[in-house]
Amino acid sequence: MRVGEALGLIGPNGAGKSTLLALLAGALEPSAGVVERVDDVPVGWVPQRPALYDRLTPRENLELFARLEGELDPAAVAAKLLARFDVPSDRPAYTLSVGNRQRLNVALSLLGDPRVLLLDEPTASLDPGQRRRLWETVTGLREEGGSVVFATQNLEELELYADRVAVLQRGTLSFLGPTADYGRLHAEEIFA
Amino acid sequence: MRSVALLLRKDLRVLVRSPLLLGVLIAYPVLVAGLVGLVAGYGSSKPRVALVDEDHLPPVVAIGSHRFRINAAIDEVGKNVHLIRMDPVGARRALATGRVVATLTVPPGFLADLKSGLRSPSLVYQTTHGGISTRVTQQLQALVYSLNKRLQKAYVDTDLGYVRLILNGGRAKFSGRSYDVLGLARMRALLAKLPSSPERKRVTEFARIAGVALEQTGNLLASTANPIGLTRAREKSRSSLLSAQVQAYALALTVTFLALLLAAGAMASERDENAIGRLRRGLVSMGELVSAKVALAGVVALALGLAIAIVFGIIVEVGGVVGGQPWGRLPLLGVGLVFAGGSLGALGSLLGALARETRAASLVAVLVVMPIVFLGLVPPEVAPIAGWLSDGLPFVHGVRYFASALYDASPWGVVGRELAWLVGLGLIFGGLARLATRRLLA
Repeated sequence: MRVGEALGLIGPNGAGKSTLLALLAGALEPSAGVVERVDDVPVGWVPQRPALYDRLTPRENLELFARLEGELDPAAVAAKLLARFDVPSDRPAYTLSVGNRQRLNVALSLLGDPRVLLLDEPTASLDPGQRRRLWETVTGLREEGGSVVFATQNLEELELYADRVAVLQRGTLSFLGPTADYGRLHAEEIFA
Repeated sequence: MRSVALLLRKDLRVLVRSPLLLGVLIAYPVLVAGLVGLVAGYGSSKPRVALVDEDHLPPVVAIGSHRFRINAAIDEVGKNVHLIRMDPVGARRALATGRVVATLTVPPGFLADLKSGLRSPSLVYQTTHGGISTRVTQQLQALVYSLNKRLQKAYVDTDLGYVRLILNGGRAKFSGRSYDVLGLARMRALLAKLPSSPERKRVTEFARIAGVALEQTGNLLASTANPIGLTRAREKSRSSLLSAQVQAYALALTVTFLALLLAAGAMASERDENAIGRLRRGLVSMGELVSAKVALAGVVALALGLAIAIVFGIIVEVGGVVGGQPWGRLPLLGVGLVFAGGSLGALGSLLGALARETRAASLVAVLVVMPIVFLGLVPPEVAPIAGWLSDGLPFVHGVRYFASALYDASPWGVVGRELAWLVGLGLIFGGLARLATRRLLA
């Protein structure tokens, strides 16, 4: 990963994109090989399936993980993220719509002020307004020197937001290069 | 520790928001504990025994001067044994199939021997091998003891009738003929009317001494028949349902059920909700995650265990029941509840991590609870292997701790030993659960 870049990760279903992102996030231990991380660089992770507690409200979820992240004022941080992502704050998370749960999932990844964001198909269930807000967040992070890896099946997003593209097929890296070198023809071969 | 406290608070909050689950978790073990207590109490008090009457005893039997109604006598002495009349073939089959635990046979000629007084007749019993045969033998010995007591009373009363006849005189029947017996008292009156002489004086003195000696015959006969008696002192003591053992079992069963289910479910739900990946990223170690579940089980066990103990104490106070220390020992009981809950919570965490899914974990925990509890209920002297297996599980140590903490005059030895068991087992199961969390991350 390079400082300030956005790396798009694509590949057919089952290629290993989610596993790779979970390994990079530290949520999984590699069975072989090593994941090297720069010390003290906070990493945010948006898993494909929301990682949150259903019986807690969005506010309680954010405050709990903010405390675990060591935030000094968990309540203030939670309130700020709730407002930013427009998530209903005081209903149990299991009552939220799929879109709202994904917003909360994204909001949780921003706790701890991450410098690297790992996004696993983050816009899959977001409405256009929320998608725009998410990419604004990503852009702001990159402008501040942060980096982003995002897995997607949306080739338009790839062309718009990725500086480089990595293609995974059956767990193997089959292409890694600038987005400009990656054409839609490749995509048709990959997803054929 | 901070992470453990935060996760514990989260789990408690989730639990409080599931009132139906919480209600079932409380009601179910209390109900099961009550049923187990009733079944155990009934099972231990009344084994089923087949009565085979090969002598064809008549409904009424005369022994000495007493007339026995056989069925009434059996009912009275059979309070501790459920006697069922059967023919010999039926009794053999019932014993073989386990419908009865013993057969008691009245052999031919039994009543004739009994009436003759020339030799002691015997009842013959057969019982199943192993298991409860020792207890059944004791119950049958108690049954024969009760019959003997009734017969002895009849014999003694008959003998005393003769003694009274010798003392006071009167009419008596022997072999169908009626006699007028003079008696010592009337003999003294007759002697008093005779002229005084050394012979009269000597006979009068003999009659007096014989009278005094025969006056003591009743007590002597009674004490010869029953050198040692057993009398039940009536006092306000605890009924079996309020006994130390039932309370200890109720507490241990509740704690076992709750701790296993909660810890297993809470551990597996971390994976179901996909939160474990987020936690794993340096926020919470897997050791801290297991510790949080252990703490959850300990805290809930403490709260519910104390609530049960307080309700029990109120019943005891209101009923004016003596024995035990329902209030003074609550702090000591609390310590045991926390450690028993924690130890079982560690086992539950292991089950939850192995099962991986909340529903599977809950089912596994429910399936595991019963064998753990029933292993603890089997007396080690009946099945030693059950005792060894049970020693490797926290339930039986909880039972011993609770019973000792609440009722022993000096509980420290037992409490210390059982606490060490609970801590040791908790560390072993906790360590295994920590290793098993790898399955949650897979």
